[in-house]
Amino acid sequence: MRKYLQIFKISFQEEFAYRLNFILWRVRNVFQILLTFFLWSTVFANPGTVIFGYDRSKILTYVFGIMIVRALVMSARAADIASDIAQGDLSNYLLKPITYFRYWFTRDVSSKALNLIFASVEFVLLFIILRPSFYLQTNPGTLVIFFVSIILAVFIYFFILIVVSSLTFWAPEMSWGGHFLITIVLVEALSGALFPINILPAPAQSVVMATPFPYLIYFPVQVYLGQITGQAMLGGLMIAAAWAGILWFSMNFIWRKGLRVYESTGR
Amino acid sequence: MKKFKKYLKIWWIMSKNSFVMVISQKLSLFIFLIGKIIRFGFFFIFLFFILKGSNTLAGYSGTQVIFFFLTFNIIDVISQFLFREVYRFRPMIVNGDFDFVLVKPISSLFRVLLGGADVVDLITIPPLIIATIYFGSLLQPNFAEVLLYLALLLNGFVIATAFHIVVLSLAILTTEIDHMVMIYRDITSLGRLPVDIYKQPLQMFLTYLIPVGVMITLPAKAAMGALSLWGIVSAFGIGLLAMFVALRFWNHALTKYTSASS
Repeated sequence: MRKYLQIFKISFQEEFAYRLNFILWRVRNVFQILLTFFLWSTVFANPGTVIFGYDRSKILTYVFGIMIVRALVMSARAADIASDIAQGDLSNYLLKPITYFRYWFTRDVSSKALNLIFASVEFVLLFIILRPSFYLQTNPGTLVIFFVSIILAVFIYFFILIVVSSLTFWAPEMSWGGHFLITIVLVEALSGALFPINILPAPAQSVVMATPFPYLIYFPVQVYLGQITGQAMLGGLMIAAAWAGILWFSMNFIWRKGLRVYESTGR
Repeated sequence: MKKFKKYLKIWWIMSKNSFVMVISQKLSLFIFLIGKIIRFGFFFIFLFFILKGSNTLAGYSGTQVIFFFLTFNIIDVISQFLFREVYRFRPMIVNGDFDFVLVKPISSLFRVLLGGADVVDLITIPPLIIATIYFGSLLQPNFAEVLLYLALLLNGFVIATAFHIVVLSLAILTTEIDHMVMIYRDITSLGRLPVDIYKQPLQMFLTYLIPVGVMITLPAKAAMGALSLWGIVSAFGIGLLAMFVALRFWNHALTKYTSASS
């Protein structure tokens, strides 16, 4: 346990080695939020407007909720596993007395902690500047389910990153391509980071909700907003847990197969 | 003219080499192409459903909003096609490989700005142009408005070029920056929709200081016949000023190059 605590500390300090780089990364997040915020703010310009089941305060809370949930779920370093495999650096870790997945999960947690601190500061600053209407969830039960859904989302995202990175075992030139297609394009759109999934027609919603992606952002934020309650909320949690299980098995299966074909190219 | 032909020939050779490299990795080319199309498609779907729910956005009709989005994509995709080498410039500075560019008898700026045209973006340009012409024709612009749209689009490319030159210069001055070109992308992506949706002072900031509005919103507004003479004159003035400042900045940055690691 102590060695992972050291990895956590080193990873945390590593982020500060390139301070300007990190700050610019956060600036990028703010720009993305600004586009979404002003777009929805314009759509809900009239205070009484209700579209897709959202009023102004709920949709703007959704946008602000993305900022925090994204920092918790999608701040991760495990995508670098792909380049470890492609460049043969994986061999260094396989020889060390650490569990490779735990090593990356610890680095992810460190990245999440740092990004959460910055996202919280941005949240407060943007809140003061933009003064949006905000929906405050006060039901303790709902808040507990919200936190459980965040924990499941963290695991789902971690497993997705490793599964996608593992494809590099068979196609080393694809180390970045796989992440571009799945963890950037698909996750960005289908997780609810770009738009709430329930603006889509019902059949499209059903298809998207059957994938693991909406359980990364959309589902936790909807639980917070009280848009998903009762059986639907518990059902959603069960689907998220099922996806976490399926992805965990897939990750281990693909990783074991991948290690058999790994040639440590470049070492 | 002779110099222009020489540079055109060099660009052609560099682009051909770049294309061959990308095409040799067919799976990678396919994945990136699919990814870009899906990303475009998702935002299009998003706009479609928003407009279905709200009918208009900041007073613009659905066709007009889509035309703004397509104009943004025209500038964004063609810039990426031409200036892909900018994304690979930082390692060149960190490793000191920029030395090899400086000693060659061609403009170093030309080499690092236009040295690696991207075939993936080239493939997406024709359908994008067809879609823009289609949605543009639905706005029924007259001949003068079409000409003005094209002239302001060209002005938008001048500003996009200036932005890329500034990014290159910053990479020389501060080797730490990885995200600078992506910051440019994020700022310009605020122009996916008309800048009218943003509140002041952000709207003013995006129109004049970081002229995303001049790059993207004004050309589209010209095609809709919604642009004043002052708007047109100031747009071209900002374009020229942006290029002048970027070139001066580049010349300044060159004097600070330390040839580290070489």
